[in-house]
Amino acid sequence: MFHHPIAEYEGIGYPKQAAKGAYMNQRSESREEYLEAIFKVTQHPDGATVSRVADELGLAAPSVSQMVARLTGEGLVERDAAGRVLLSSEGRRQALRLVRRHRLSERFLTDYLDLPWDQVHDEACKFEHVLSDEVEERLAAHLGNPQTCPHGRAIPSADGELPPEKARPLAELGAGQKSTISFVSDEQPDLLRYLSSLGLLPETAVSVEDIAPFGGPLLVRVGRARYALGREVAGKIFVRA
Amino acid sequence: MASASCCDVSTKRRSTSAIVACLAGNPNVGKSTLFNRLTGSAVETANYPGMTVGLNVARARWAGQEVQLVDLPGTYALDPVSEDQWVARHGLIDWQPDVVVAVVDATNLPRNLYLVLQLVDLGLRVVVALNLFDEARRQSLRIDPRALSQALGLPVIATVARRGEGLDELTATAAAVAISKDGLGRGRAVRYSAAIEAQVAQLVADFEDSGETLPEGLPPRAAALALLEGDQELVAAFGETDAATATGPAAPSRHSRRHGRRTKGPHDRPRGGRRRAAATTAAATTGMAPGAADRSPLAVPIAAARHAAAAALAETCTEGHAVGNESAADRWWRATTSPLTGVPILIVVLAAVFAFLFFVGGWLSGLLTSLWTATASPVLGAAVHAVFGYGALAGTLLWGLDGGILAALAVGIPYILTFYFVLALLEDSGYMNAAAFLADRVMHLFGLHGRAVIPLMAAAGCNVPAIMGTRVLATKRERTIACALVVLVPCSARTAVILGSVSLFVGWQWALLVFGVLGAVGLVAGLLLNLILPGEPEGLVMEMFPFRRPSLRLVATKTWKRFWMFLYAAAPIMLIGSFALGALYETGLIWHLSRPLEPLVVGWLGLPAVAGLTLLLSVLRKELALQMLVVFAVARFGVAAHDLRTFMTADQIIVYALVAAIFVPCVATIAMLGRELGWRRAGAISAGTVVAALLVGGAMAHVLPLL
Repeated sequence: MFHHPIAEYEGIGYPKQAAKGAYMNQRSESREEYLEAIFKVTQHPDGATVSRVADELGLAAPSVSQMVARLTGEGLVERDAAGRVLLSSEGRRQALRLVRRHRLSERFLTDYLDLPWDQVHDEACKFEHVLSDEVEERLAAHLGNPQTCPHGRAIPSADGELPPEKARPLAELGAGQKSTISFVSDEQPDLLRYLSSLGLLPETAVSVEDIAPFGGPLLVRVGRARYALGREVAGKIFVRA
Repeated sequence: MASASCCDVSTKRRSTSAIVACLAGNPNVGKSTLFNRLTGSAVETANYPGMTVGLNVARARWAGQEVQLVDLPGTYALDPVSEDQWVARHGLIDWQPDVVVAVVDATNLPRNLYLVLQLVDLGLRVVVALNLFDEARRQSLRIDPRALSQALGLPVIATVARRGEGLDELTATAAAVAISKDGLGRGRAVRYSAAIEAQVAQLVADFEDSGETLPEGLPPRAAALALLEGDQELVAAFGETDAATATGPAAPSRHSRRHGRRTKGPHDRPRGGRRRAAATTAAATTGMAPGAADRSPLAVPIAAARHAAAAALAETCTEGHAVGNESAADRWWRATTSPLTGVPILIVVLAAVFAFLFFVGGWLSGLLTSLWTATASPVLGAAVHAVFGYGALAGTLLWGLDGGILAALAVGIPYILTFYFVLALLEDSGYMNAAAFLADRVMHLFGLHGRAVIPLMAAAGCNVPAIMGTRVLATKRERTIACALVVLVPCSARTAVILGSVSLFVGWQWALLVFGVLGAVGLVAGLLLNLILPGEPEGLVMEMFPFRRPSLRLVATKTWKRFWMFLYAAAPIMLIGSFALGALYETGLIWHLSRPLEPLVVGWLGLPAVAGLTLLLSVLRKELALQMLVVFAVARFGVAAHDLRTFMTADQIIVYALVAAIFVPCVATIAMLGRELGWRRAGAISAGTVVAALLVGGAMAHVLPLL
């Protein structure tokens, strides 16, 4: 459920990617994970650094650095003057294809298998690597070419187009809407910390269940917990939807 | 905080041979139930100065070992960003427990394990009580305690605190962990990302190099993590410049203050220039300015990593998804927060609570009064007269003993007992939060939270428990506003005055007018206070609890405990007040008091002088305002005066009722205000009500004749 794979908890957290895996399929899967992680991190306002990519993947910086070098050699990744990691157009195309497969898989898991929407992410992480082009196309057609994943994020088109995502305050959502937290304003560090201790963290799925009358607080569900968030607080939480 | 030291003697660990155990856990996971189950009845509360949240301390025997059990406030985490978290954190640091019993909710493991991982990060010995195990099973969540124990590296015992299941095993395990010399209960700490771990290692090395003495009981890794998470107290303790040290404890940051999640002053630790070395490192690695570190870029990544680890842990030991099989009770419960159904339900519940308070409280009041007057009163009267004769002394004694206790039995106790019962019921079922959610917007007008709705309503029964009930509010600002509003809500005694005078002698429409004016006074007072008082209303962040069927036994225990706290605080003052007024009356001094009041009472309010006296006396018991008025009037004007209309006009009766209803409630209320808010604020609120009563009463006295 938590998108943020920073932790390695004795190997049971985010699967440590076998960067130097012996088998071809493992290597390509790992390459894909890298591209996806870099794509995600490049959307950070300050761009992608090797350490941010490492944080995203839950790996040590040196091994990430090695892989980035290899991907650069393959023409998928570029480095700018400041040492930031960028995706080449081919790299971006591949990353977006993966994002598309991930989000289509999520749609499938929720719409057809009735898995709860806040639990499909991890499953989709596995699905995304095994879909062929043809299966992907049929899946999309079968689902009626959906525009968004169950978390409300846009699904890239087959030719690699992704409309830019704009974060907006959680307070603007209506009852019944689902979204994913992009970031929490750090204007009030204590509030930020308090919310993070509750699990209201970036990349966490939240859904608005009810809104109290007369512009009152929002009732949001996060995982198995439900919280009432005042308007001002919900205005500090920015979501994608 | 006046002094630099932030710890009461009573909040420090005592020198004792007993095992010290702390009870930690999220709110609403059955921690208090467990505490009550594990300890006897003798509970002491240790308070940090300036904190409304206290630590409950009690003794127990676990597996033959003497245990001192400290119940920490229910918290989601241990960052000192809110009052309860600050107290919980300091409880752990100050008491240095031999073992921490972490109570987790089996139905929401991912979030609950966060706190457990934080306890492990602090280097504490932990035993996990996997509580609400039956509830989880009912939700078809199959949790394997052994798998969880293995993954955490901690003993995990499945418990059902409500029924006492698993508690023997829990206490035996906790005792074993507390006295063990090896790593039992130390747990497996989260391994953070390489980047974070590198900084932790760097800080730990720096601590060693600089020969720093860390705060007692805080291992280097724990201190390093706390610094990286931007623990302001620790940063301040390490990084304060000498100038800053001289100014004493750091003030709460602007943000935290505005948000109401206060960060209290730092621990009173010796500071020195050498500490700055480590602080600078921490500041450099986290990008914080030393001393002024308000934001830490690593707080969120560390929290995220801990959450991810907690989620992963929960997954390894849980089978089955609970989502999807929402029970009928859950669906019904959802109706309490949906605006369409929630508001009508709220109105019905509020009406039911009101009716319950009125009828059950009223019934109890009648019962206690008649019991007292039938049995104790005559005996007391006879005894006092036999010993002291019929002089002023005897009269005074009877005022205090007979009148004072009767007042408590008639007004305070019945409503307080019923209110505490209803309050416990609402809290334990989880409905309290649903009501707060719906009422939040309206309460916001007054700078309050939705949670204030319950004490405000309870005030209609009796103001005293309502003032204690404002403890559900987090900040002193909110509590001050709520108390001021509570005091303006007509309690049952004041309602009796209004009904017995205006409704009876002038007409019920005029009684409605009086209530309307009272409502307007409350509205204006709330809006004004929100404007005047410094600070801003804090943002609402409140967990909505699932419905749990309240256990009558636990509700009764809670009611009884709170009731005794009330008696302990209010009873002496009510008695002393009764004696004092009795002495004034019996010695005839009270008549002299009426002279200086005359310009106000007769001149401004346009009331008969005798009315001013009864208003003064009503500070003891508000319904006395009416009884006394009749008694005094009969004494002055003859028997016919039992009908107020013989010596007062309709306008005068209305003004009289209004003034009686607005100005300071009884002595017990003032005493409770003083206890809860301090005497300065209590005095200000009381004086404010007097001014409001005079203003409104005077205005009405001048406007009504024109109508």
